[in-house]
Amino acid sequence: MHELPIVLDVVRVVEEEAKARGLSRVTKIYLVLGELSSVVDESVQMYFEIVSKDTVCSDAKLVFEYVPASLKCGTCGKVFPHKGSSFQCPDCGGDSVLMRDTGREFYIRSFDGT
Amino acid sequence: MEVIIMKELLEANDKLAEENRSYFASRHILAVNLMGAPGAGKTTLISAVAQELRKAGVQVGVIEGDIASSIDADNLEKQGIRSSQINTCGECHLDARVIRDGAEQIDLKDAVVFIENVGNLICPAEFDLGEAVRLLAASVPEGDDKPFKYVPMFSYVDAVALTKCDLKDAVGFDSENFLKGLHAVSQAPVFEVSLKKGAPATGAEQLADYLLKKYREMA
Repeated sequence: MHELPIVLDVVRVVEEEAKARGLSRVTKIYLVLGELSSVVDESVQMYFEIVSKDTVCSDAKLVFEYVPASLKCGTCGKVFPHKGSSFQCPDCGGDSVLMRDTGREFYIRSFDGT
Repeated sequence: MEVIIMKELLEANDKLAEENRSYFASRHILAVNLMGAPGAGKTTLISAVAQELRKAGVQVGVIEGDIASSIDADNLEKQGIRSSQINTCGECHLDARVIRDGAEQIDLKDAVVFIENVGNLICPAEFDLGEAVRLLAASVPEGDDKPFKYVPMFSYVDAVALTKCDLKDAVGFDSENFLKGLHAVSQAPVFEVSLKKGAPATGAEQLADYLLKKYREMA
């Protein structure tokens, strides 16, 4: 539900950065999205199509790069990416703990422009 | 050409949150961001914990966030708790921008200030408000599986108040399963609370002690 202000931010930032470099057309925007960031990519896409009209981003394609949260096994110490709803270590089967602040990424990595 | 920018989104919110943090610190206010689903018992919890804090000689204020209405703020004011109401007009969460207004309205110093977030287990975990403590009210009837399902929220908070514990038997709440899920994603301590009307209140005192300790640790 809160994707609209976020998308407004994406378009504003990319427009500023493109203008500063004399680029008139942005073709791709790469967004990095952590799995715990509570941001829905479909929703971002929907708002983007509306908000980007009549801007340098109007033809841009959004590319999402997903980052899982990391878990650390309490038994053997292995660090591994979170998958599904399991918190079991893939090596020893021990119970693992979510590593604080991982999987909360949400930023614009880069964009392609001409 | 490819332009690398590595630009954090929500940066504007995070910057305002830091300003709020300085504002609260300068007034010696412990700001507590209380989150939880609608009906988890957030307002009732604030009333009970506020009573305990006031017994210990600490002032309490509340910044109330709701989609609409001022029912909660009005009730708290009747109990003598200084409150301000923020109506988000449909927004699913509070953000840092609206908190400063609320804080200036209650105009307190040397206090514990609760920020009662909009009832929602998802979006509020995305917005830093400049709080010192993130507290989650999770109620027994919501079910013991919630830490497994709402990982962003449960991994975001510093402490959990498990409310409506008097209903554990009635709904077959499995405490062990709840704790298993919580401990996988968080080290937050759990305070078991029961504030049923007409019955003796339990747990509010322990939660108040936890907040008092945090309050006294502030410089």
